[in-house]
Amino acid sequence: MGTVSLESFRVDVERLRAEAVAVLGAAADDAGLEQARIEFAGAKSGRLKGIQKLLGGLDGADRPEAGRLFNEAKGAITAALDAAQVRLAGAAAEAAAIDVTLPGLPFRLGHVHPITQTIRRVQEIMARLGFESVDGPEVEDQWHNFEALAIGAEHPARDPLDNFYLAVAQGADPLLLRSQTSTVQIRVMEQRKPPLRIVSLGRVYRPDTADATHYPMFHQVEGLLVEPGATMADLKGVLRFLASSFLGGDVHVRFRPSFFPFTEPSVEFDMEWGGRWVEMGGAGMVDPAVLAAVGYDPAEVSGFAFGLGVERIAARRYGVADIRDFYRNDVRFLQQF
Amino acid sequence: MIISTTWLAEYVRWDAPVEELVRRLLMSGLNHEATWPVGADTAVDIEVTSNRPDCLGHVGVAREVAVLFDRPLHIPAPQPVESAEPAAEAIAVEISDLDVCPHYTARVIRGVRVGPSPAWLAERLRTIGIEPVNNVVDVTNYVMMECGQPLHAFDLAKIRGGRIVVRRARDGETFRAINHKDFSLSSGMAVIADAEGPVALAGVMGGAESEIAADTVDVLLESAQFAPLVVRAAARGLVLMSASSYRFERGPDPAAVEWASRRAAALIQELAGGEVLAGAVEAGALAGGRATIDLRAARVEEVLGVPVAAGRQAEILTGLGFVKEAACSERCRWQAPSWRRDVTREIDLVEEIARIEGYDNVPEDRPIHAKPVEQSARERTIRVAGEVLVAAGLCEAMTRSVVSEAFESTASPWTALPPRRVAPALVRGADRLRRSLLPSLLEASGHNRAVGAPHGDLFEVARAYLDRSWNAAGATPLEEPLLVSLVVGGAYAKAKGLAEGVIGRLGGVVEFRRGAFDLFTPGRAAEIVLERAGTEPVRVGVVGEVSDGVLSRFGLEGPVSAAELRLDLLEISGSQPRKLVPPSEFPAVQRDLNLVVDQELAWAEVERAIREAPGADKMLESLSLEQVWEDAERLGAGKKSLVVGLRFRSQTGTISSDESKRLVDGIVAACGQSCGAMLRG
Repeated sequence: MGTVSLESFRVDVERLRAEAVAVLGAAADDAGLEQARIEFAGAKSGRLKGIQKLLGGLDGADRPEAGRLFNEAKGAITAALDAAQVRLAGAAAEAAAIDVTLPGLPFRLGHVHPITQTIRRVQEIMARLGFESVDGPEVEDQWHNFEALAIGAEHPARDPLDNFYLAVAQGADPLLLRSQTSTVQIRVMEQRKPPLRIVSLGRVYRPDTADATHYPMFHQVEGLLVEPGATMADLKGVLRFLASSFLGGDVHVRFRPSFFPFTEPSVEFDMEWGGRWVEMGGAGMVDPAVLAAVGYDPAEVSGFAFGLGVERIAARRYGVADIRDFYRNDVRFLQQF
Repeated sequence: MIISTTWLAEYVRWDAPVEELVRRLLMSGLNHEATWPVGADTAVDIEVTSNRPDCLGHVGVAREVAVLFDRPLHIPAPQPVESAEPAAEAIAVEISDLDVCPHYTARVIRGVRVGPSPAWLAERLRTIGIEPVNNVVDVTNYVMMECGQPLHAFDLAKIRGGRIVVRRARDGETFRAINHKDFSLSSGMAVIADAEGPVALAGVMGGAESEIAADTVDVLLESAQFAPLVVRAAARGLVLMSASSYRFERGPDPAAVEWASRRAAALIQELAGGEVLAGAVEAGALAGGRATIDLRAARVEEVLGVPVAAGRQAEILTGLGFVKEAACSERCRWQAPSWRRDVTREIDLVEEIARIEGYDNVPEDRPIHAKPVEQSARERTIRVAGEVLVAAGLCEAMTRSVVSEAFESTASPWTALPPRRVAPALVRGADRLRRSLLPSLLEASGHNRAVGAPHGDLFEVARAYLDRSWNAAGATPLEEPLLVSLVVGGAYAKAKGLAEGVIGRLGGVVEFRRGAFDLFTPGRAAEIVLERAGTEPVRVGVVGEVSDGVLSRFGLEGPVSAAELRLDLLEISGSQPRKLVPPSEFPAVQRDLNLVVDQELAWAEVERAIREAPGADKMLESLSLEQVWEDAERLGAGKKSLVVGLRFRSQTGTISSDESKRLVDGIVAACGQSCGAMLRG
């Protein structure tokens, strides 16, 4: 017969367990917790250890049940100890918390000019249709800026007051800053055979007094396609693709008859933007005289061309009221794009 | 061109609101500017393109309206009641230069009573913005605005010697115009002269001496054709634009000369009384034949991508005044009307049909097949350079290509030739094509400092314009190298680091050599030289610290450094993408060396010695200059210490300590041999 009854062991174990869980759960700091740990779970003289010693005084038949009760209590106390440790560690971390709304470490981001961004957007859209971006000189001769484009010697567009002519030696051929990027199209057509799909882009120059909507230097993007059987329906389709891709959604395009020496028929094209028709640029079928001037046979191939003023669409796209702002190079302006 | 709708309705009825009239005109080529009421009348301002002088009169616009609304067109057939006396007895006309005036006609109306115009006439003129003067002058303006043919009425009593001579002006000849201003003429212009001198500036404005006045009794009515260039030279040269010069510059209907003369004579007779002498006195002749043009009916669809029935094609052309020469079906020969000298070819007829039929009929959903396209080397180069500089925190700027003399007074790194000049100036004082972007960027940076912007670190990709001392066949007129320039706050190393970054990304291998450039502090500038196998080394850039004088000129505070690179010479070659070098799986070995060298020795020499040491090409992963210091006591006079960081790594195995020692020894030996470097402690 043992000296300890199973019943009293059970009572002792349960009491210890309840007391330990309560004390550990109430520990307010690391020191209090350590004290409680030593009291209950100390390896040498902890109270759990004391209870464990009672196991030897139990009847052999009661020992398995008593052992189970002991282990259960030990597990609960250990868990309470772990929980208390986690709780106190969290509280300590909380005390050292930072203001998460403080500013992040700043770094300087550069910005691409909004005119460049607009040009690239158009280039990327046109590239999907196979239009290759091309480049050419800004200082041009009369052939590329006028004659090959069917702008004859008597045309008012050639007036000295309407162009930036370079000072040249007496008798030398006149040179001027190009007034349109169609010059590049002529240069490409002179060197390559059709079929051809190109976008010429860059700076052009016309003597306008600078104001909110004019600047004597601006950017143009001009598309040109020369293939057998090209029609105005193809032109409209391409412009609608451009408009829809540029503006988003399903955008319609409208043609209004116009006049340009190098296209026939010539049109202005409008796009539906913000519920109304907005004038976007000029377009038309390449004039047979232009095809002939570069050595193409107008009976074999036809083509279309269109041009966009970049500043105008960029101004509208970004809400810029004065296009001179594009050339002030104020970082407070540039870093918004 | 301002239209009075009341006046327009005299020739055609369109039975639709003004908004619809305006919309139809807009969609067929006459852009709408504005509409406003004038009393009971409505004024409509339309934009007429330079190829359509026929629409610079009400009749021409009415013809468009008649075709668009499919209504009949009524054009008056004026016939003045002529007396027996021939006009030729009252005036003689002579043209001395048919190039300036191919056709001149004069009518004479005797015994007019000059007075105010009737209300209907005065009101129509007021609607279109012309202030009435008197019945004779008003009739000439009215008929001009009716058919587009400018007219002029002289007081016959003031024409000396009974004759009119149309001739070129003499250089320095003076003339007092109706506006009572005096003008000095030149031989590019033409005048109407009497026996003694100019009485009108041909096609531009009449003279003050011979104008119609209250006491005018006999009128000489001029209706003529003048060469566009001659009229333009006078109007532009004297800054004397008039409704008349505007029309002559565009070339009115040559056949209208005769009609307008009859129309005006009849109206003067009706409104001011008088006797119209028989016939018109003529010199020269009605110019030019009418174009005959073959049109293939199928061609319309080939151009537009949408068919227009042959019957409809004929209907449109006929309505516009074209005349079919004979019965036809697939191919028709058309004669253009005299007022449409812009229509000479089949494609022009196609456009006429298209614009009247309306482009809304052209479909917008025709599929277009895609085509592969490659980004050009130049385009990729521009983007890569921009990406590097944007990543480094710079903003892209755009500055003017044409600059002032002050900007171009500094030498260009790219040419010894002076800048080319343009006229007119792009903006005030800016008339030189720039040979470098740097002054413009420095100015922009200074602007940012002046306005208190967060920074003024900018770059720009643009061309310079360099004169050629000789011109190769097929070359562009000027040399236009593509440059990228940058300006940043910070000392020399800042701009150099950015230049190295751009060049490195483009795959260029360059050397920095001491150089001197106007904008930079002496001793703190370098030229960047590109070396390529098989070619001479070429300057591809300059970099330096901006000098104090330049800083203060642009309102900048130092240190500021800048660089300019030739992207055209640094262009990425080939279209092959970079090939991967797999990162090594083996650990790296780090060694620092403290080398003592002569103070004058350039770092580039040490770097070359290290990189060319045995095994370095395979094992040296990176090389850095950690520190440079001088200390005469510890290192000796004229010496400096370079602390160099070396990092070795092998692709094939872990580097043993023996191996790393061999590498370091080899480097030390190489530096000793070629740079006189001593290893310090």
